[in-house]
Amino acid sequence: MIFYHFFSNPWAVFALKLAAVFIFFLTAPLFLGYVEHKGLAHMQSRLGPMEAGKFHGWAQLIADGVKFIQKEDIVPDAADRRIFMLAPMIVIIPVSLVFLVIPFGPAAVSCHAPAGAGACGFWGENFDVGIFFVLAISAISVIGMLMAGWASANKFSLIGAIRGAAQLIAYELPLVLAASAVAMQAGTLSLVGIGDAQKAYWFVFPQIARFIIFVIASLAELSRPPFDMPIADSEIIFGHMTEYTGIRFGLFLLSEYAGIVSLSAIAVVLYLGAWHGFFVPWIPGPIWTLAKIGALSFLVIWLRATYPRLREDQLQKMAWKYLIPIALVNILLTMIFKVVF
Amino acid sequence: MDPQATEGAVVSWPAVFVAIFGAVAAISAVAVVLSRNVVHAALSLVVVLGAAGAIFLVLGAEFVGWTQILIYVGAIVVLLLFGLMLTAAPIGKHALDNQQRGVAFITSAAVFGVFTFIIWRSFGSQRIHLNQVVRTSDIGRSLFSGYILPFEVVSVLLLAALVGAIVLAKKD
Amino acid sequence: MAMTKEERTAKLRELEQKIASKKGIGALYGLVKGMSVTMRTMLKPAITTQYPHVKPDLPERTRGVIALKEENCTVCMLCSRECPDWCIYIDSHKDVMPPKTPGARARTRNVLDRFAIDYALCMYCGICVDVCPFDALFWSPHFEYSTDDLSTLTHEMDTLAKWMDFVPPPPPLEDGAEDPSQEGAAADSATPAAGTTEAAETQAPPAREERHDEEPPQIDQEAYDAAIAQGKPDREARALAKKAWILKRRKAQS
Repeated sequence: MIFYHFFSNPWAVFALKLAAVFIFFLTAPLFLGYVEHKGLAHMQSRLGPMEAGKFHGWAQLIADGVKFIQKEDIVPDAADRRIFMLAPMIVIIPVSLVFLVIPFGPAAVSCHAPAGAGACGFWGENFDVGIFFVLAISAISVIGMLMAGWASANKFSLIGAIRGAAQLIAYELPLVLAASAVAMQAGTLSLVGIGDAQKAYWFVFPQIARFIIFVIASLAELSRPPFDMPIADSEIIFGHMTEYTGIRFGLFLLSEYAGIVSLSAIAVVLYLGAWHGFFVPWIPGPIWTLAKIGALSFLVIWLRATYPRLREDQLQKMAWKYLIPIALVNILLTMIFKVVF
Repeated sequence: MDPQATEGAVVSWPAVFVAIFGAVAAISAVAVVLSRNVVHAALSLVVVLGAAGAIFLVLGAEFVGWTQILIYVGAIVVLLLFGLMLTAAPIGKHALDNQQRGVAFITSAAVFGVFTFIIWRSFGSQRIHLNQVVRTSDIGRSLFSGYILPFEVVSVLLLAALVGAIVLAKKD
Repeated sequence: MAMTKEERTAKLRELEQKIASKKGIGALYGLVKGMSVTMRTMLKPAITTQYPHVKPDLPERTRGVIALKEENCTVCMLCSRECPDWCIYIDSHKDVMPPKTPGARARTRNVLDRFAIDYALCMYCGICVDVCPFDALFWSPHFEYSTDDLSTLTHEMDTLAKWMDFVPPPPPLEDGAEDPSQEGAAADSATPAAGTTEAAETQAPPAREERHDEEPPQIDQEAYDAAIAQGKPDREARALAKKAWILKRRKAQS
């Protein structure tokens, strides 16, 4: 009975959801980081972390986090102090907000929320403009990147930031176009709605091209290899993060891995059928979602181990000459199918 | 416009938030003008545009609010910053002062006056209820039915700008 | 139609090249192949080992560190001078020894006081080992002497001598090699004595004995006799005789 009262209070439920999302935001990137350490190591015939936590170095990322917290927070003399210190927050807040709207499961059958049935389920918040919210909010991160690069008073940082901005401007377009084709097909911008619309078939199957475009553009947005020119460590040290130390650097890294998880989650919801499984229907939806997010995140790591970095001009050429035209044709095809059938 | 004056009731939450975000936007706008560092000015502009987007969100116009953030914060200011950082951004009072205070004052006063007049004429005595969120589909419907001509005109304008940019960028 | 493995690989190569020459599909094929390479590597066990927990399986004659066989050193200073890094420090003094026969001149002898190698400077080129004329320096397979202080990397004679324990005995001599022990010098302390060479001494001569039984000695008897007649020592005579035998055989073959 007390549970009933508790869960019928929308504020209590919202606080609970917020806490859950926050915990997921903090733990999922750590887990992914560990998987990357180990996966990347084994793909290079190494063992990766083996010491921290005794069993196969499972506590390595926790140890890293503790290290980042302990380190001195250095601000370069010539740096623009306030902007330098603000930049990591600007990068990480949008990434964390994306987690708020990822739907992990279908809407609950019985719901006591004042908004009525279908308003509660495994998600933080069901926005009417869900996918649009994700795209808008993730575009803010690049401002943090530019701030970091400019405020560091370091030429490598600035080059990294400018590369990052150029990359983001180029790849935001195919990302939005690929996502909007899906929104068109589903007839809604809500992520929960898009998930529901894939009951019959996953959106990846009719037009695999846009899924590939979305994944490529996501990689570029996250500046993950093979699109890691903004942080290209062999050319410009670590791009906009060159001058950062301690917890601020840790925040940048956390936002990178959180970004992988969140964009994988969005790709799962948009293309890979969200919580809809196959063959084994008795497995609950949230587990399907998590499994798919894991698989896609692993693909991101796998790509990092396999492909060399593209050159800056190849990157731009790829976006403007191939991805955007293909995405536009895709939208056209989606429109035609939508009208005809 | 003041809910207290007309209704005599408690101040509604949206009104409070609109006031807060409005104040933030106004202060940041002043900072844009007064800043001696162009990059700081551009970052203040981010706050202005973000606060404007937040006001839209508070008023229930989710789609417009997020569009504001996606287009202005995510694209236009990024381009602006990109341009500033790619070129040598001038820093200091003299480098940034173009000595046109009089003209600037007249222009901004005129813009303020025109906007105030238009808003006053349109919504002057009208009461707007914020009890329901504007659905994206409604915006789409009205955009492609009632406002199809302005929509097409804007797209032609953007196309012209695009063609112009390509012509300027191509050397031969 | 059973194909051998070589044939199959050749055919695959050919196909690969055919695909790679087509631009679009070739690129895609390359991308997929790259992914498969990383995945296969991941599924195979890693090559690296957990060093402090698992000792590495190193070859017997790993060049880990340079050890000193102190009693062989004559303080000729060749190693120290040939060292490109100047990381070998040698101190010595001369001892005057009483003459063997009364009335003769007193003999002097170099006594090694200090022999140190600064492994912070050493680049492990091994020139000192090669250049030592008296087999006083050896490559030792010992490698666990890292420290966290540069100054402790200069190792003195006692440590260098201890590392000598890790040096495996020299391999048995090749067929036809000369007996390394000098004629009539067995009692002399100048020959490589003790531990390591003992094994060689006990192994090599019987091997030569056996060979004498099986096949004719690979020396030219005439040349040997001639050399002996000229009053040359046996060792030199043998070498000359062997040279003559080889030249003769080469002539016969051609």
